[in-house]
Amino acid sequence: MNIIEIKYLTKYYGKSRGIIDVSFNVEEGEIFGFIGPNGAGKSTTIRALLSLIYPTSGSAAIFGKDCIKYGPEIKKEIGYLPSEVFYYDRMKVIDLLNYSASFYKKDCSKRIRELAEIMDLDVKKRIDDLSFGNKKKVGIVQGLLHEPKLIILDEPTSGLDPLMQQKFFDLLLEENKKGATILLSSHILSEVQRLCSRVAIIKEGRIIKLEKISTLKEDNYKKFKLEMKAPLDNDFFNIKGVVEFKSEGDFASFLYKGNINAVLKRITELEIANIWIEELDLEEIFLHYYEKEG
Amino acid sequence: MNIFIHELKSYGRTTFIWTASLTAFIIMFMLVYPAFSNDVENTRKLFEGFPEGVRKALGLMLDSFFTLLGFYSYIFMYVTLCGAIQAMHMGTSILSKEVRDKTADFLMTKPVSRKKIMTSKLLAVLCSLAITNIICILIAGVMLEVIKNTGYDVKAFLMISATLFFIQLIFAALGVLVSMMVPAIKSVLSVSLGTVFGFFILNMFDSVIDKEAIRYLTPFKFFDFSYIIKNGSYETPFLIVGVVFVIAAVAASYIIYGKRSIHAV
Repeated sequence: MNIIEIKYLTKYYGKSRGIIDVSFNVEEGEIFGFIGPNGAGKSTTIRALLSLIYPTSGSAAIFGKDCIKYGPEIKKEIGYLPSEVFYYDRMKVIDLLNYSASFYKKDCSKRIRELAEIMDLDVKKRIDDLSFGNKKKVGIVQGLLHEPKLIILDEPTSGLDPLMQQKFFDLLLEENKKGATILLSSHILSEVQRLCSRVAIIKEGRIIKLEKISTLKEDNYKKFKLEMKAPLDNDFFNIKGVVEFKSEGDFASFLYKGNINAVLKRITELEIANIWIEELDLEEIFLHYYEKEG
Repeated sequence: MNIFIHELKSYGRTTFIWTASLTAFIIMFMLVYPAFSNDVENTRKLFEGFPEGVRKALGLMLDSFFTLLGFYSYIFMYVTLCGAIQAMHMGTSILSKEVRDKTADFLMTKPVSRKKIMTSKLLAVLCSLAITNIICILIAGVMLEVIKNTGYDVKAFLMISATLFFIQLIFAALGVLVSMMVPAIKSVLSVSLGTVFGFFILNMFDSVIDKEAIRYLTPFKFFDFSYIIKNGSYETPFLIVGVVFVIAAVAASYIIYGKRSIHAV
């Protein structure tokens, strides 16, 4: 079953582009990554899902219900954590959490205590006395206290120290194990790689790739670097599948996708001193996507 | 209900300060009344020395000024001025502060419709203003009882005092509407002060030129205190204008708020 269904979602702010024809589904129980550089349209998509903004055209549904029409109803089961959290400064943390809980028709006090303990959060302090990282923790507790079925995270880890990030990820994985679906938007690839099973890559308002993380890594370029006894003719590796060929003195490097034997045969014709063949990590894969598609 | 209580609490301090200031103002000036009324002749001479235009602009009516209710309605004009600022400030800020303080994301990702948010907040404004009014009327009533030297018309007193609430409703509705039409208000206080004083100055100006038509333009002129004292009733056309304006402003605000985009911070 699809928890989120987005169809040709388009949003223009006046004449400037927000997102164009964004379509993807998030299935029940998965952790879905939503990746793109700043300004690509990640937040726009998420804000449309939460009916904070209204799309120009297209539609989005959560739990099979239209986001705009059934906004208040579906939000009962959504936990949202924005990248920058702002709360009523003069309130105490516990008052804010209770206020947040009062929107859901269930007793959340036990869960608040648990979460505050895990995140090491002092609930007696006033919001405006908190550091950025601690405010973020309030955001995390606030987003999870009603045990939502769908957790939407918009660049969630900024401001958290590595230890807290780890705790937060563990918490997310635990929620996921209990059945929660997670949509994680980020530009930090390592965290996406760690958590997500599938990703959508967005660039300049359009989805440019929708793929399983494992496939992304498999079906991809390998990085070759050669050290040779003599400088190489520039046309030597002019075969199908080779891109980004660079030659500098005795060194040459390129990316290759395709039958590995073809390129190895070519290499054996050379007198080489050393060779490195590496998998691209996700970072490079994405950089590659951005550059290529641009 | 939770939003209503939250708002009521968060405006508690402000409401308290406004109420305390207004009642202090009433108490102070009512205590001055005996000094005026004991020496009518001299005071009248003093005021007669003012040019007529100035007297009219200040709302000084020498025929009624020295009666208890006449004096009360004179100072009450300034109470409504302050009350209008309170109402406009609250009306303007109650929705716009969520955007300014960037808490809109928190509130609007909760399972609650915008209609309900608006209703709860409007009720919180209504309730805060009602509290201010009730306390002001009570204190004013007590003051009148304390300093009266003759009887006075209690109904007229209540009707004059109730105009505070009507004027506040109008300015609160205006404030809400302004906050909906102007997307990002940086300083609520300057907007409210500017608007209220604008209308108040128009009111003074209108007193000087004395044209009936201009009375419709400024809520401060909707209620003529001497008319109320004389006839024991409000003037229906102005009452209708006020009610229609409040309903229209609130309805328009609901529509605009429902369609508004909440942009990322």
